[in-house]
Amino acid sequence: MNQAFCRVARWVAERTGLDQVWEALFARKIPEASGIAAWLYTLGSASMFVFSVQALTGALLAMNYVPSPDHAYDSVKFISERVLLGSFIRGLHHWGASFMVVLVVLHLLRVYFMGAYKYPREGTWMVGVALLLIVIGLGFTGYLLPWDQKAYWATAVGTNIAGQTPVLGPYVAKILKGGSEMGAATMTRFYALHVLVLPALALGLIAVHLFLVVWHGISEPPSRKDDGGRP
Amino acid sequence: MENEGCPCAGRDGGPKMTRQGFLALAATGLAAAIGAVLSASGLTYFISPAFGKDEENWIDLGPASDIKPGTPVKVDYVERRRDAWVVNEKRSSAWIATADGKEFTAFDPRCTHLGCPYRWDQARGQFLCPCHDAVFSGEGAVVSGPPPRPLDRYSVKIAGGRLLIQPQPQKGA
Repeated sequence: MNQAFCRVARWVAERTGLDQVWEALFARKIPEASGIAAWLYTLGSASMFVFSVQALTGALLAMNYVPSPDHAYDSVKFISERVLLGSFIRGLHHWGASFMVVLVVLHLLRVYFMGAYKYPREGTWMVGVALLLIVIGLGFTGYLLPWDQKAYWATAVGTNIAGQTPVLGPYVAKILKGGSEMGAATMTRFYALHVLVLPALALGLIAVHLFLVVWHGISEPPSRKDDGGRP
Repeated sequence: MENEGCPCAGRDGGPKMTRQGFLALAATGLAAAIGAVLSASGLTYFISPAFGKDEENWIDLGPASDIKPGTPVKVDYVERRRDAWVVNEKRSSAWIATADGKEFTAFDPRCTHLGCPYRWDQARGQFLCPCHDAVFSGEGAVVSGPPPRPLDRYSVKIAGGRLLIQPQPQKGA
């Protein structure tokens, strides 16, 4: 059994170099940390795991969802009440969305307070900030989709805030809403952003982010050095 | 390196469980459990239409005593059909016949030849289709004309004195 598995693994490794990829990604050297500091290093992986859960549950929800004012609410209700495990899948997506924002912000705080954004990792930081904006964008666009009172008025407030910007505001608000009034065009717009544009951008930037993490290695936890009082 | 050359060596290389080996196994096991729950529930959601039961769609046509023996009546009704989260309404009708006021027959109101609406001729006691001169008996059997089969029937039941039909045609018998 073990022999056979080893033969298959070697066959794949010789043809794909997957063992070296594994080595570079998972067997790479990481700084020694223990206790709470060690757990803080898991926030990035946790964000990525929740992102993949969101992608999976999102794809499933899209199978029963219609981004249109006359069907959105009923189709969401249909998922929650009539589809087998529909409320579970929707619940995962709902809570995952909030959890994602929490994790990503905690991850940002960890990187900030450990000074892990410093040379040579500024690129990783910048891509990370772009990813944070994408996560917030996903949260904002996804919030409208159930088309209930909360969703409608939250988006009304959100687009009105955008409209308050001097000079460009009214145009930004119209672009967001797909017109001067919130309605069918707003829904399709938010849906397209939520399931096509933002996830695609996120995937690309996650790839860059991860490459940079592996390329530069992970920064050590900061430590106070006794060299004349310098921090 | 007992398993020289094996890309996955060291994970379960020896009989003795090391601390590192145990942690690796625990982490892998936890990941596998989470993955199993996620993929099993996702898969169930995805394939659930295969197990869904079709809803029985009985339509109330009113008191059964309204149908008098010997004279088939054309009853109009509104059929509400659920299509996922949409409910479609369709106006339709059926011919209801009874010989004794106990057993009822419901006929699809379309001629089995080309789907024209037929009518009841009281004098002849037969259904007549105007399109191609088809004639059916009061029991729906073809008397003359081009129809390939007797009139299609709907399932009928009586509940609490009310007549219920299920308007999915069963091929005429």
